[in-house]
Amino acid sequence: MTSVEEAWTVSKLARVIKGRVEQDGEPIWVRGELVGIKKYPSGHLYFTLRDETSKIDCAIWKQVAVRLKEPLVEGSEVFALGAPRVWEEKTSLQFNITQIIPAAAVGAKAQSVEKTKQALLKDGLLDPARKRSLPPYAARIAVVTSVAGAAVHDIITVARRRWPSVELLVVNSAVQGEGAPAELVRALRIVARLDEIDCCIIGRGGGGKDDLAAFNDEAVCRAIAACPVPVISAVGHVDVTLADLVADVRAATPSQAAEFALPDRAELAPRIATAGTALHRALQNVVTVRRARLERTRDRIGAALLDQVRRSERRLLSVKARIAPALTRVVDRRRSGLQRLAGQLHALSPVAVLGRGYSLARHADGRLLRQVADFPVGAAFTLTVSDGAIAARVEEQ
Amino acid sequence: MTKATAPTLGDDLKRLEEIVRRLEDETLELEAALSLFEEGVGRLKAAQSRLTEAEIRVRQVLDDSSTGDGPLRTEPLDG
Repeated sequence: MTSVEEAWTVSKLARVIKGRVEQDGEPIWVRGELVGIKKYPSGHLYFTLRDETSKIDCAIWKQVAVRLKEPLVEGSEVFALGAPRVWEEKTSLQFNITQIIPAAAVGAKAQSVEKTKQALLKDGLLDPARKRSLPPYAARIAVVTSVAGAAVHDIITVARRRWPSVELLVVNSAVQGEGAPAELVRALRIVARLDEIDCCIIGRGGGGKDDLAAFNDEAVCRAIAACPVPVISAVGHVDVTLADLVADVRAATPSQAAEFALPDRAELAPRIATAGTALHRALQNVVTVRRARLERTRDRIGAALLDQVRRSERRLLSVKARIAPALTRVVDRRRSGLQRLAGQLHALSPVAVLGRGYSLARHADGRLLRQVADFPVGAAFTLTVSDGAIAARVEEQ
Repeated sequence: MTKATAPTLGDDLKRLEEIVRRLEDETLELEAALSLFEEGVGRLKAAQSRLTEAEIRVRQVLDDSSTGDGPLRTEPLDG
């Protein structure tokens, strides 16, 4: 509560009330009975909407009033889309209407939508279990919308920012009006024939007009359900259409559909960097593990080799110890045999006979001279005695 | 229709994760490990350039039949 000293001015109160009432600004659909219609020369329309307990003053500005298809009927039941406004001069509340339709028309439409919904439900097309999830990295996306509308532009803008490597294949179709359902079905048939499509966005952008009939059309809904890839609906309207219910994912707008369909590269860059780090660490680990294994192997082999060398050495020493005495014995035996042979040899030597007084006469050519005839007068010969040889000549016979 | 046969960034990332996982296998031959690593580096570069260098392609699919069963062709569409 404020104190007396802090009392508000009336205009402040009016301003605050206006602020609170208009804060939200979102249009609201209101159902009521239309009474007290007044058309002003300015072209604006004024009337009251009421039900059993309440009423509210309403206005339709000229620019909306001129586009009304049917004249307003006093006492009729209507659906009106508008937002409450406060006039500060009188702090009076007024519901500013931008769209108005007879309740009877809405009723008929709602009835037919409900019938279609039941048919889809019966065939299991609204079963949440049917919903497919979107691929995490779409490379090719089909877009079914009007190429003249804002949806394509919105999707391209988001795709360029988030995931520029994507390819968008746009299939043109009317999205409202009489021919729209047939065109949408045809476009979805084309989408089904495209190769390697990751998902499909079907929707409309901008405008925000009330003609959602095409997206409540049974044939369109069945074509969406039959689409071979996940479908994102982006009808861009607060009302949920049957197409939204059949689609795998519902987006509020085409921009949001693009956000759902595509990953954000800004979020992926760190992931790629992480993958790079992991890759290098893995290789480092490969090298470290193998080096350690190599070192272990080397140590094992070294130890085995050393062990073998030591064993060989010991064996060599023991062999040597056993062989040496045997060898000595052999040598000794050989040596005494040799001495004996030398003695025998000496006994048989002619030189030993010469020692007993014999001598040998040899011709210069080494031939032994045995008979007188071997000694012609004047012939030179050698006479070998026990301690050497003498040169001699025959004087006479 | 032409097919998008080149690996996508998703393929690259998946393969990279698989390569790292395989490199963690200590029984892997050193030579195989090295060739896996080389492939990984290639994928990494491809992934990075896909993020930075790509320019979005937008084409309109046209079919002159009223039913959507005719021959398909595409032409560039300005965003």
